[in-house]
Amino acid sequence: MIRPRMLPLVLKYIVRHQARTLLTLGGIASAMFLFCAVQAMRDGVAEATQETADETTLVVYRENRFCPFTSELPEDYGRKIAAIPGVAEVSPMRIVVNNCRAALDVVTYRGVTEASLRSMDLMLPEGSIDDWTRRNDAALVGVRLAERRGLKVGDRLSAAGVTVTIAGILTSTNPQDQNVAYVHLDFLQRAAGNKQGIVTQFNVRVADSTQLDAVAAAIDEVFSNAQAPTWTSSEKAFVSRAIVDIVRLTSFAGWLGIGSLVAVFALVANAISLSVRDRIKDHAIMQTIGYPEHLIARLVVAESLILSLLGGVLGLSLAVLVSWFGSFTISVEGVSIVVQADIATILAGMAICAAIGASAGLLPALRAARMSTAEAFRAV
Amino acid sequence: MAVIECRQVTRTYRRGEQEITPLERLDLDVQAGEFLALMGPSGSGKTTLLNLIAGIDKPTSGVLRIDGEDIATFSRSKLAAWRGQNVGYIFQLYNLVPVLTAYENVELPLLLQNLSRSERHERVSSALHLVGIADRHDHYPRQLSGGQEQRVAIARAIVGKPRILVADEPTGDLDRTSAHEILTLLRELTRSVGCTLIMVTHDPHATEYADRTLHLEKGRLVEQDEGVAS
Repeated sequence: MIRPRMLPLVLKYIVRHQARTLLTLGGIASAMFLFCAVQAMRDGVAEATQETADETTLVVYRENRFCPFTSELPEDYGRKIAAIPGVAEVSPMRIVVNNCRAALDVVTYRGVTEASLRSMDLMLPEGSIDDWTRRNDAALVGVRLAERRGLKVGDRLSAAGVTVTIAGILTSTNPQDQNVAYVHLDFLQRAAGNKQGIVTQFNVRVADSTQLDAVAAAIDEVFSNAQAPTWTSSEKAFVSRAIVDIVRLTSFAGWLGIGSLVAVFALVANAISLSVRDRIKDHAIMQTIGYPEHLIARLVVAESLILSLLGGVLGLSLAVLVSWFGSFTISVEGVSIVVQADIATILAGMAICAAIGASAGLLPALRAARMSTAEAFRAV
Repeated sequence: MAVIECRQVTRTYRRGEQEITPLERLDLDVQAGEFLALMGPSGSGKTTLLNLIAGIDKPTSGVLRIDGEDIATFSRSKLAAWRGQNVGYIFQLYNLVPVLTAYENVELPLLLQNLSRSERHERVSSALHLVGIADRHDHYPRQLSGGQEQRVAIARAIVGKPRILVADEPTGDLDRTSAHEILTLLRELTRSVGCTLIMVTHDPHATEYADRTLHLEKGRLVEQDEGVAS
């Protein structure tokens, strides 16, 4: 766009009006922070709900119930589900949360059997499953929950009337696992309401992903006339239903993200227009000493681009810091949505800043370039 | 040999409903290496003629040849490139870029040329030294006196080694001592660098430094004096 030797000239014009430049950068940074936060939320929702062709997990829930507090199924349903053709594995799960509504700091206990826990794809940077097995009130805590609550191995965690001892910190490719505490199923059944033999849901692994819908229908058929009928769906569809309000909210937040980008455009365009108006004479001088009009236009666009990128770097850096150190997770009905700015969001933000910077500077650049030198001197 | 040839040059422009003709059917030859002074009352067309010669404006009719080339036929880009290589412009109010230091102002035209950093440094330092302002190279225009600013402007005009220097009342904003120093410097530069200098002035004393003085009135040439420069 411009030769490197021209860069100091562009930077001098950017810092010429320091207060104006700082205010513009602050505005761009705030707008890009908002954009990044909205985008991180949307990404979290997409990650939690997007189904893939190789999904093999079904969730069996109590029909017409939407919250772990009210979904109660007899634990012995597990034997009947395991007998249905196509079912590879059944994991009964008791879920207890300290808040069923949407909130940022929800503790979700998942009571599981040892066999179910060992079949999960979990990594434990601290502690071990053996430690968990040895102690009845032990919990394996997801890394984001541990960060949010400042937990480490050996600490005690109390929530929803249940107190556990941390036996390990876990990470997993499944974002849901990052925010829960896995405890013994029988312990949780006793500790939370003394409901032995009652579970919240069954997680069912199907042998063939193409059989997912057929197996789900077969399970619901088996219990259609039971006292506690079931609603079975893929894990992702189950999550989508649970967080439908959050999905609507993020759709609306998408407009906020677009609004913030429009604000960036307006801020950059305004700053560059003022800057160009301030230096009509400088451009006339430059034209007089041989600067062609296309070079003057490129210098203005470069200024706009740098201003926009600087503001973008500031806002996006702030968003990354806040999202990493804040460990934000929105939980609703026991389902967690991780709100974290990832590298793709940052790169997209920078690309958008570059595009906005270039386009916002275009009109002032053309105006600066098209003004005749003689006219410009007469104007000042 | 005439480096500048004006034949029946007219410049007309509109201001609202009014048509103004600051220059009308002007004929003029300027020889290479000549120091020419242009005098005349305000609105007589001096600055218009200077802008035409410098290639920052174009005649409405007539022919203006510089070194045999009709520059009115050049595109805006070609004209800009031509100006960068052939013309140095000195303004009455110096017109330095305020965000740049004296050194950076002088370097500004050289950024257009394919010169290395060290080559640029050498030429800028030499130009600043020639106009006697090397010790103020890191000063911003606001930190310089009028005379010092004009010296920097002259250094900027000569750093690209132009064939033609145009100066629009270069001493109009200076006290008598500074004006004398600048005019002496300009005369010496035309002789040492060998460029042609066209200077617009209202000051009769300033014409004493020129080889020839032309008087303009209502866009027409009315009188020629031979200068007394030695």
